[in-house]
Amino acid sequence: MEAALRIAQAGFHSVLVEKEAELGGTLRSLHSSFPRWQDPRELIDHQSERLAKSRRVTIRTQSAVTSSLPKEKGFRVSLTSLRNGDTEELDVDAVVLATGFEPMDVSVYGEYGYGIYPGVTTSLEFEGQLRKWALSTGDITTEIPQAVALIQCVGSRDRSKGNPYCSKICCMFTAKQAGLIMDLFPDARVYVFYMDYRAAGKQYEEFVRQVIEEKHVRYVRGRPAKVLPENGRLLVRAEDTLMGIPVEVAVDIVVLASALVPHPATRLLAEMFGARTDEYGFLEGEPHEPARTADRVFFAGGCGFAVESAAALDQGASAAANVIALFNEDR
Amino acid sequence: MNPDDHRPLRLDRVESPLSRELKDLFGIDVDTCLECGKCSGGCSNGHIFDYTPRKIVQLVKLGAEETLMRMDALWICLSCQLCFDRCPSGIDIPRILDHLREGARLRGIPATRPAVGRFHELMLEQIRKAGRVSEVALMLRFKAATGEYGKDTGIAVKLFFKGKLNPFSPGIRGVDEVRRLYDHRPTDEKA
Repeated sequence: MEAALRIAQAGFHSVLVEKEAELGGTLRSLHSSFPRWQDPRELIDHQSERLAKSRRVTIRTQSAVTSSLPKEKGFRVSLTSLRNGDTEELDVDAVVLATGFEPMDVSVYGEYGYGIYPGVTTSLEFEGQLRKWALSTGDITTEIPQAVALIQCVGSRDRSKGNPYCSKICCMFTAKQAGLIMDLFPDARVYVFYMDYRAAGKQYEEFVRQVIEEKHVRYVRGRPAKVLPENGRLLVRAEDTLMGIPVEVAVDIVVLASALVPHPATRLLAEMFGARTDEYGFLEGEPHEPARTADRVFFAGGCGFAVESAAALDQGASAAANVIALFNEDR
Repeated sequence: MNPDDHRPLRLDRVESPLSRELKDLFGIDVDTCLECGKCSGGCSNGHIFDYTPRKIVQLVKLGAEETLMRMDALWICLSCQLCFDRCPSGIDIPRILDHLREGARLRGIPATRPAVGRFHELMLEQIRKAGRVSEVALMLRFKAATGEYGKDTGIAVKLFFKGKLNPFSPGIRGVDEVRRLYDHRPTDEKA
C-alpha cells in the first residue's frame, strides 16, 4: 500500500494487486499494536483513504498475478480475477512484491497439542479472540479465562521441526497479547514462557517491562515441553531455567507464538519474476540494494522476513524510492 | 521450594505474600528483576551460597519463604551491598535478607551456621544494652560463646594497629531511644 502510494505521489501510475477482498494483509486481523497499543486498522484506514484519493493508483482486489513475460524494460503480466476468472494483460515497468508472511503450521508439535486440544490456539487466532472480547458488548462472563499461557518460539529457533531463525516479532506481540488479557480480565493469571525476550526497538524494552511490572504478567523462563489435559483444563510443563526446577501450570488457553514463514505466493511470484530467495523462501535483496531482488523487481514487508508494521511501512517507502529513481533514469 | 515431592512445582498455586510485603514495607519490586545475574556474578560470597542473589530474588517471586528462611546464604551473606550497588534495577537484596533474617528469628528458625546466629544475638544484645557496638567486647563475648579463642587473632592485631579496634567503648546518649527500636517490628505491625 505504502509503495503504491509513494510511487503515485511521485507522478507515476501503480496497480495494486491484492488477493484478498480487502487491503491490509495480516495487519487486518490484528487487534492492537506494539509499542503503543494502537488499533492497527487506523493505519489501514489511513492508507486506504490516501489510496482512494489518489488518481494514479488502480486497485485490483481478489486478483492475482498469474504469469509474467520479461520485456526489454519491465514485464508483461496477466492479472486473473479470483472472483470470475477474467484475465487482463498489463505492461509494467517495475514490480514491487509485498506478499507478506504467514504463521507456520504448528500442528507438527504433537507435544503442544494444537488441533487436538480445543484450548490450544495460535497467536494469530488468539488476536481475533482478543478483538472479539474487546468489542463484545454482551455478557462474556461464561468464557472468561482464569489463566492463559503464551508460549514463545514455537517453530522459531528450532533446528529440528521448525526454523533455525528467530521470527523477530513474536516476543513483542506475545507481550502485547499478554498485556491485553490483563487489561480485559484483571483477575486472570497470565504466563509467558520464553527463552529470552528480544525487544530490540524504540520503546520495545519499556513495553515489555510495562507488561511485566505494571500489568503483572508472569514471565517464566523456559521452553515448555508438553501441554496435557487435566480436569478439563490444560497443564503446561516446563523447566524454570532460572531455578533449574521443573514446573507446571494449569491454564484454560494456551497460545502458541508460531514462527513466521514465507507466504506460498512469494515462491510463485519469485519464480515468475526471477527474484532471489534465501534458503527459507524469503525474498533476498542485493548486497548494497536491500530492496532490490531482481532487475526491476523490488520488495517490501513480510515477504523478505518477519517485520512489524512500522518497518514494513518503511520498506514500502524504500521500494517506492527505488522504483521512482529507476523511472527517472529511464527518461 | 516445592511442597509436593510427587509433582513439579505448580506455578498456578504459587502465591507470594512476601513480594507484596517487600513492596509495601521497603518499596522493593522483585518484578523489576532482569534476571541478568550481575548480583550473583559479583557477590562476595556467592561461590559458597546455596542460593545466589539472583536465585534469592527468584525464590521471592516463587513465594518460597520457608526455603529462604532456612537457606545457608541467609547466614553467610556479608551484607557488603555489592549486589544492590550493581543491580541495574536497583533491587535492595541485602534489605530482603535483613527482612528474612528477622522473619526467621521471629519464627524461631535457627541459623544454619550456629556461630553466625550466636554472633547476631550477641551483637543485638550489646546494642540493646549500650546503644552501640563495642568491637572488642563483642569479640571477647563471641569467643567465650564459641570457645574458639585463638581464631582470627592475627587479623585482630592488624585491625588494632589500623585503629579499627577500640578497646574502650564509650556509651551513647539516649540509649532508651535505641532500646525503643527493639519494640518496633514492622512484620508484627502487619500481623
